[in-house]
Amino acid sequence: MPAGPGVLARVRGASLLAPGVGWLVLFFVVPLAFIFVVSLGSRDALDRVTLANPSLENYVRAFEPRFIPTFLNSLRYAAITTILSLALGYPIAYWISRYGGRRKILLLIIVMLPFWTSYLIRTYSWVILLRDNGVVNSILQAVGIIDQPIILMNTDISVILGMVYGFLPFAILPLFVSIDRLDPTIVAAARDLYADGRRAFLHVTLPLTMPGIIAAALLTFIPALGDFVTPDLLGGPQTTTIAKNIQELFLAGRDWPYGAALGFILMAVTLVGTLVALRTLRREVVGGD
Amino acid sequence: MTEHHDRSSIDLEKELTRYMIERRVSRRYLLERIALVGGAAALAPVIAACSTGGGSAAPSAAATPAGSAPGASSAPSSASPAPAASPEGELNILNWTDYLADEVISSFEDLHGTKVTQSFFSTTDEMYAKLGDDGGDYDISFPISVDVPNMIEKGTLAKLDKSVLTNIGNLGSEWQDPGYDPGNTYTVPYMWWTTGVGYDPARLKGETPASSKALWDPRWAQHISMLDDWQEVFGLTLIQLGYDANTTDTKQLDEALALLEQQKPLVRTYSTDTIGTMTSGDIWIGHIWGADRFAIQETIPDFAYYIPEEGGIKGNDTIATFTGSPHPVAAQLFINHVLDAQNSAQNTNLIYYMGPNEAAKEFIDPAILEDPTINPSADIVAKLQELLALDQGVRDEYLSRWQELRG
Repeated sequence: MPAGPGVLARVRGASLLAPGVGWLVLFFVVPLAFIFVVSLGSRDALDRVTLANPSLENYVRAFEPRFIPTFLNSLRYAAITTILSLALGYPIAYWISRYGGRRKILLLIIVMLPFWTSYLIRTYSWVILLRDNGVVNSILQAVGIIDQPIILMNTDISVILGMVYGFLPFAILPLFVSIDRLDPTIVAAARDLYADGRRAFLHVTLPLTMPGIIAAALLTFIPALGDFVTPDLLGGPQTTTIAKNIQELFLAGRDWPYGAALGFILMAVTLVGTLVALRTLRREVVGGD
Repeated sequence: MTEHHDRSSIDLEKELTRYMIERRVSRRYLLERIALVGGAAALAPVIAACSTGGGSAAPSAAATPAGSAPGASSAPSSASPAPAASPEGELNILNWTDYLADEVISSFEDLHGTKVTQSFFSTTDEMYAKLGDDGGDYDISFPISVDVPNMIEKGTLAKLDKSVLTNIGNLGSEWQDPGYDPGNTYTVPYMWWTTGVGYDPARLKGETPASSKALWDPRWAQHISMLDDWQEVFGLTLIQLGYDANTTDTKQLDEALALLEQQKPLVRTYSTDTIGTMTSGDIWIGHIWGADRFAIQETIPDFAYYIPEEGGIKGNDTIATFTGSPHPVAAQLFINHVLDAQNSAQNTNLIYYMGPNEAAKEFIDPAILEDPTINPSADIVAKLQELLALDQGVRDEYLSRWQELRG
């Protein structure tokens, strides 16, 4: 049996973990536990949370049919946003990594530039572009493609546009890191072995950058699933998301336990999805060699 | 502030500022506009000179005084006030920006030798947070009527001393015994407003609708907006059906839901940002808070607002003092001061809202009195209904139907 590291070294190692673990506990585990505890409670006559008769009733109520369409909306928006962000983000990240040269950092800063402006303002700017007499409709009419304005605002289109726009940088950054780390000589080797560009990409580049793709997908999908600001600002009657329902239960309904139960379920769905994705990721990385 | 913005950049800046302020709002957001909109309407020349407008002026104005915590200065005088009627030397008011006329405050200071300190908030949530359970350091603030029952039950509001409130008889008879605070025991109504329908006449091709049914008119399909507020939307629909806006009858609620489901395919958006949606050109006719029309008229001068002939929703806020008030005598005197006919009129003339003060009418600007959307005739007032704080179970019935509609 090889001797383990000394006690001192182990303590030192653990102390390095402390800030990260502390952060996670303080800002993830504690709030999550708090939400879970509240979700077991109920309301008193003044809408205050009481834990007098803890039960799982709120979880039963969480499966009421009214939440199905909004939950499906959330899933749909998050999935489409993730796919589009990857499809748009991959070529951009690839281009920056391969052809960015000395300007790589500058190009990455440009990717991050929108974050210098409030998300609300950036999202609201889409209204100016998409409304009936907005920029897009005016151009289409001036060019003669359409006679009457087409309705873009308050539709799935405006919501998805807004979300992809908002989440794209979250996809580009991990994709860039992953593509940039890929040793170009491996691709060159594939080419030497008579793979054409497409096959080299599909069989070498893509699998080797899979960790970046999965990280990008997670970083897009998770916040997109909980987004209600974008659908609220850019959406219409059909674009309500589950996060909006949860917000209404808290604020309009003043039913914190009920809202907490729905929130916890959403969190659980996200967590399970993340774990599945991470397992896949490990298999890709470990099983790849 | 910069002198010469071009028009479009002002609008954008205002819209964006407003947007950031208002996103988290429900119907309470209405009052946030008073500072921005009522003030803007009343002080149009000032706004014109000072071109960033109400939008950015209000938050910055709110920031400074709120920072100078009045609590520190009030500490000495909070030592158990004598039951005698001699007012304390200070009074702390927590208020919207531009919601009390300066003359009203200075005349109170002169009359009682009391120094008035105003602090400001920009959302009702902020107001309630600062007030806490007993008013904190504040003596006077302006709770919304629907929140009053809850505040009474929590012991936040102090009873009014009717022997001090010699002016309470100035209130119109319909305000003497409001449902949220029978007999005005804890609060006095301050200003009131309506929710109704607004439209751009140019878009409706000369139509002048009078009923809320215009919001169900298929000719305006995809150009109709409804408030993103369950109680306002159900209130309007229930009144259209001839029912009580606060009905507890679930069959009536089901009927209202069915009517709203019919309307949904015609609706472009459910939004509280009525100023943004109406001025975007996407919405031709919408369910709006009456006060928003002033801001919309800055972009669409002909923009029209009406209270549906079937009846509309009215709301009001109150002026109140608190169980933890550091200066209780001055607070009661101040409430009486605001009830004075001339003082009440001065406030209305500043913010373009009608108060409940019948005696004040002779001092109110005729332009306000003659505007039927601010000061509706008696038969329309008789048809207005108040949205009440609903019991938990009833509220759940509304909200679940609302979420069914929106799903």
